[in-house]
Amino acid sequence: MGEGVRFWILSAFLVVAGLVQPASGGTPVHDRAGFAVSLCGDGAAQSRALDALIRSSGEDAVDDLAAAGLLLRGLLERRLVCLGDTAILLDRIGASDGREVASGAVRPADGGRSPVLGLRQRALVETALGIATLVAGETVELRSKGLAAVERRMAGVPDAVLARAQENERDPGLKAAIGTAAQGAALSSPDPVRRLAAISAVADAPSGAAVSRLSALKSDPAYRGDPAFRAALDVGIARVERAVWIGNGLALLYNGLSFASILFMAAAGLAIIFGLMGVINLAQGEFIMVGAYAAYGVQETFRRFAPGFLDLYLVAAIPVAFLAAALVGILIEALILRHLYRRPLMSLLATWAVSLFLINLVRVAFGSQNLQFGMPSYVSGGVPLYADFIVTWNRLFAIAFAAATLVLTLLILKRTPLGLDIRAVTQNRDIAACLGIRTRRVDRLAFGFGSGLAGLAGVALCPIYSVNPGMGATFIVDSFMVVVLGGVGTVVGTLVAALGIGGANVLIEPFYGAVAAKVIVLAGIILFLQRRPEGLFAVRRRR
Amino acid sequence: MVDVTRRHFIGTAAALAAPAIIRPAWAADTVKLGCLFSSSGTMANIEGRLNHVVRMAADGINAKGGVNGRRIEVVTSDPASDWPLYAQIGRQMLQQEKVAALFGCWTSVSRKSVLPVVEQNDGLLFYPLHFEGDENSKNVVYVNSPPASSVLPAVDYLMGAEGVGAKRFFMIGSDYVWPRTINKQLKAYWTSKGVAATAWREEYVPLGFSNFQTLVNQIRSFAAEPGGQPIVVLTVVGSSIPDFLREFANQGIRATDVPILGLDMVEADLEGLDTAPLVGHLNCWAYLQAAKAEANTRFLADWAAYVKAKSVPFSADTVIDPMVSAYDSVQLWALAAAKAGSFDVPEVRKAFAGLSFADPSGYTLTMTGENNYVSRGVFIGSVNEKQGFDILWQSPDAPKPVPFSPYG
Amino acid sequence: MRGAVETLPVTASRRFVPGLGGDPLLAGVIALVLSAALVIVLLQPAPYLVNMVGQFAAFAILAVSLDLVWGYLGILSLGHGLFFAVGGYVCAMHLLSHAYAVTGVAPDLMQFMGWKTLPLYWSGLTSAPYALVVALVLSAAIAFVFGYASFRSRVNGVYFSIISQALVYVAMLLMFRNDTGLGGNNGMTGFPLLFGHPIGAPGVVTGLAVATLLALALVLAGARALVVGRIGRRMLACRDDEARLRTLGYSTTRLKLGIWCLSAMIAALAGILYVPQVGIINPRVLSPDLSIEIAVWVAIGGMGRLGGAVIGAVAVNALKFWLSAAMPEAWPFILSGLVLVVVLGLPNGLLDLATLRLKPTWLRRGGGLG
Repeated sequence: MGEGVRFWILSAFLVVAGLVQPASGGTPVHDRAGFAVSLCGDGAAQSRALDALIRSSGEDAVDDLAAAGLLLRGLLERRLVCLGDTAILLDRIGASDGREVASGAVRPADGGRSPVLGLRQRALVETALGIATLVAGETVELRSKGLAAVERRMAGVPDAVLARAQENERDPGLKAAIGTAAQGAALSSPDPVRRLAAISAVADAPSGAAVSRLSALKSDPAYRGDPAFRAALDVGIARVERAVWIGNGLALLYNGLSFASILFMAAAGLAIIFGLMGVINLAQGEFIMVGAYAAYGVQETFRRFAPGFLDLYLVAAIPVAFLAAALVGILIEALILRHLYRRPLMSLLATWAVSLFLINLVRVAFGSQNLQFGMPSYVSGGVPLYADFIVTWNRLFAIAFAAATLVLTLLILKRTPLGLDIRAVTQNRDIAACLGIRTRRVDRLAFGFGSGLAGLAGVALCPIYSVNPGMGATFIVDSFMVVVLGGVGTVVGTLVAALGIGGANVLIEPFYGAVAAKVIVLAGIILFLQRRPEGLFAVRRRR
Repeated sequence: MVDVTRRHFIGTAAALAAPAIIRPAWAADTVKLGCLFSSSGTMANIEGRLNHVVRMAADGINAKGGVNGRRIEVVTSDPASDWPLYAQIGRQMLQQEKVAALFGCWTSVSRKSVLPVVEQNDGLLFYPLHFEGDENSKNVVYVNSPPASSVLPAVDYLMGAEGVGAKRFFMIGSDYVWPRTINKQLKAYWTSKGVAATAWREEYVPLGFSNFQTLVNQIRSFAAEPGGQPIVVLTVVGSSIPDFLREFANQGIRATDVPILGLDMVEADLEGLDTAPLVGHLNCWAYLQAAKAEANTRFLADWAAYVKAKSVPFSADTVIDPMVSAYDSVQLWALAAAKAGSFDVPEVRKAFAGLSFADPSGYTLTMTGENNYVSRGVFIGSVNEKQGFDILWQSPDAPKPVPFSPYG
Repeated sequence: MRGAVETLPVTASRRFVPGLGGDPLLAGVIALVLSAALVIVLLQPAPYLVNMVGQFAAFAILAVSLDLVWGYLGILSLGHGLFFAVGGYVCAMHLLSHAYAVTGVAPDLMQFMGWKTLPLYWSGLTSAPYALVVALVLSAAIAFVFGYASFRSRVNGVYFSIISQALVYVAMLLMFRNDTGLGGNNGMTGFPLLFGHPIGAPGVVTGLAVATLLALALVLAGARALVVGRIGRRMLACRDDEARLRTLGYSTTRLKLGIWCLSAMIAALAGILYVPQVGIINPRVLSPDLSIEIAVWVAIGGMGRLGGAVIGAVAVNALKFWLSAAMPEAWPFILSGLVLVVVLGLPNGLLDLATLRLKPTWLRRGGGLG
């Protein structure tokens, strides 16, 4: 986000200079006021003006393009206000006055309307703005942004633009990048050498779209007539297809891993609680919700007291969410579950009542709408990694989070006195008690720990799912299946089960749809558990 | 919040405790309206708002002296997103509370479950949602548009030169009757326009589904295939909408690459999302918050004031089509009852013919009496940075509703 | 490890006296049920009330079916909604195909699914006896397959509960799918006729309610006869210490399986009676929440007492119907509070109030069942 804002502020500065300079020449853009008025017109007028701009952008003066860029940016951000037959550009949305485009004079903008872009016009604006930035951008950073925008809409960009940008570019890296882009754009060039270069350039940046672009050339007469072209094209297509195939495989792995980490986080706390106390905690999903609401609380606190560090709230929320959920868990253990350890089925009903209570408490306190989270840049968007495989930050955050949770849990269980106690009580409560372990205290702490883990899951889920009072309910059946399949009381088993279930779901989904995938996986687990009730990793079980 | 106990239900209590007790006589100067909107369960986030709107509308009418000399009393309930409970509470309202009309239901399932109840008791249900059409009960007033009057114009727009010249369609919906019927009609419509069946794909997810990674991957591959401009026709509902949008934006698809036409997408679904990467996606409804009309300015101000005065647990500056439709419902009922001079359902129904009302959307709602549908305008909205919709296109007038689709 | 997999704590067996005299509570409940039927026939109260009583009776039958396996056999099923749904769906199919045969008007479902005729598996369902047999056999068959696999590999305690919950969840997802062919999320609704009569007519409403009340009385009497007999003793023995019973040479698998299937059929019967009264069946009855709620009715009324199950089902549902309209905001809090009070303080449900044994469980050795 921050980067983008900086980019546009810079470009605004750049273009203000262009705006106040006197206009010159005769191409449509040079009539800046007329261009602005066309942008204020209906969709057809907008399209005409934009098309003309793009067509002539190979030859237009740099400062003219810069001026057009300013207007287009204003149009996209709805800072361009049309008042009668004049257009006024505001500095920010909602400002009461701005500069009149024709004269540069400051004028009030009351009563004007800011045009809404249709989709077709929006695409043209993006193309034109990309061209303007590529050609007239002041910094390398800006110009490469422009190049990225132009590459998205290569089909609508005149060849002259890239040639010109490449010629004027000083930065060697960017110059080369523009060259590659220009090469790729020459797929239908009459020059056979350029065409072959274009094929290999397109094949170097594999994607599903590249497959389509190359395959379209098979109907070209040259494919039948020119053996060299034919060979180059076949090789190119094969290369791209292989890369896309690998990319899709990676995407599949990534999807499976991210779904598995969500399952794991939802189930980890449950596994500990269930393993230790045999308590079916139907309120586990609500602990996740408590964690998410705690994260919201942290965000609001930051917003009020430390707005400068707002982006860090998600990190700061980690301990808060853990403690909040742990506290709620310990409270519930102390007030309710403590009395029910002899009666696991009754504790099941009790936790159901607790979950009902928590959901409705939160609903009454916060309302039932989705909470407003401002997502920091490190959990929004994604980066294309290979072919069509995009790593989305929010999922990566969840995967990293799950890995950290796993390490933390294993460390606590294997390396701390509490972990030792938990393992001892899990294995044999009576003997552990005889050895002087205060089993009740262990129970309570372990319950708090398990609830806290659910709270952590809440933080990790904020950037992925909507946060509302009912969010926890969706996890409960899935996470129980993970725990039971993995084998009670083993964190590793939970991990393996989560990976298995997540992977199986993602594998089946493309073939039979999301519903059937879920049905098939769950039915498979039920069948498996009938054969092997102790799950994958049985610790020990008395019958 | 919480209008916890409105004491209207002492009657029920008494009836439960001892059926023989004679229910206390109600003040003769009130008339009751019943609400069937869930404030808990999966539909709570969006449906819960409508209870408050109905109250607000009733307060407004009461302030002007009520209807036929009587004050309106609104009875709310919580069917808890539990479809059979809608029918049960509806029955209770009609038979025990003797409400003059019911206002309720969001999902088609809940409407279908209440339908036999209102038909058996000859009640009136005002249904404020757009839906799959193909239904015309004399006991239901369909205040919002059937697909032939709202969805098809929007799809036409996208396919036309003014839109994006869409050639290929990825339909993704929640697995239930509304998305399936809409998609069935769309497919028939495209076939009639000469679009080949290879140009579309259809996927369904369970209600409440949230893991859209794989599907968005599929949409990207679909978009990369040759054959012309692709669009997504989105008919997932409820919490699936923001989850889908988030994944769509994170995978880097912009509206200018593949636009989404979100048929159930409202302003409330954008709450809590960063909409900057979503700008340009579309929805279509009979009302958008950005509608330019004096009645809308007034409505928005009234709602904001109402939220503040009654501490309603919903956003004061988000207004969605079903809220306005629920508001319109109360107004239409009041107009009809005043015209009939009676609260009897058959009388009120007779009065529907020729009714008209200038609603916040800026269009004049009319009812012809041929059916229980209402003529509404059509808006196509475009997502903006401020978690709202700008109006991209609106119909020149309110088209005559077509209950039974000629397609599918 | 422990707690979760161990057999249930041993409790002092109750005194068993054959006949209803040994259980004044149950006798009272049956008397009440029968007199309710009589009142309905003689006094003809408002159809709305009659219908409500009929629904309560269907819920009570469902609760009794769960109590039979939970209270007397120690198997807590969190998937009993599945069997209820089987009954309900088959009944709905009967009602639709019957109405179609009589009136010739194609039901919404067919138009929506694009069917010209009803598919093959609907054939014969116009006949009510056949539909009844199908519902009972189908529920028993599902119960048998699931139960056989579970009991044979000795899945019990909370494991059984979790897996049965997953089962009902899978069934819900499956029925959500339109392609499954039974109306998807909408399910089936708009039944016009029952045995040729309009389903909303007061006579039909009364008939249904009375039939359901009579069925409840019969189920109660039958269940009572079962639990006080030799099988009943074995059930209790199995509940209290399955390993010991098995060591003594009894096939606990066969015992559990038999009762489990019987319970499934009773639940299906409840579904059959419920659907025409409420006028809709859809996958909501398969939601795990509803199945837990059935257990809540039984726990609140008092598990292991047939009369308790009835009282619990009626009390919770009456409260729910009333409060979700009268004070919708408070209802979930009241329900969760009620469950906690019962679970913590009244191990035998509301019946403890009657006997005024208000001492908290954790002060008493042995406690209630669990």
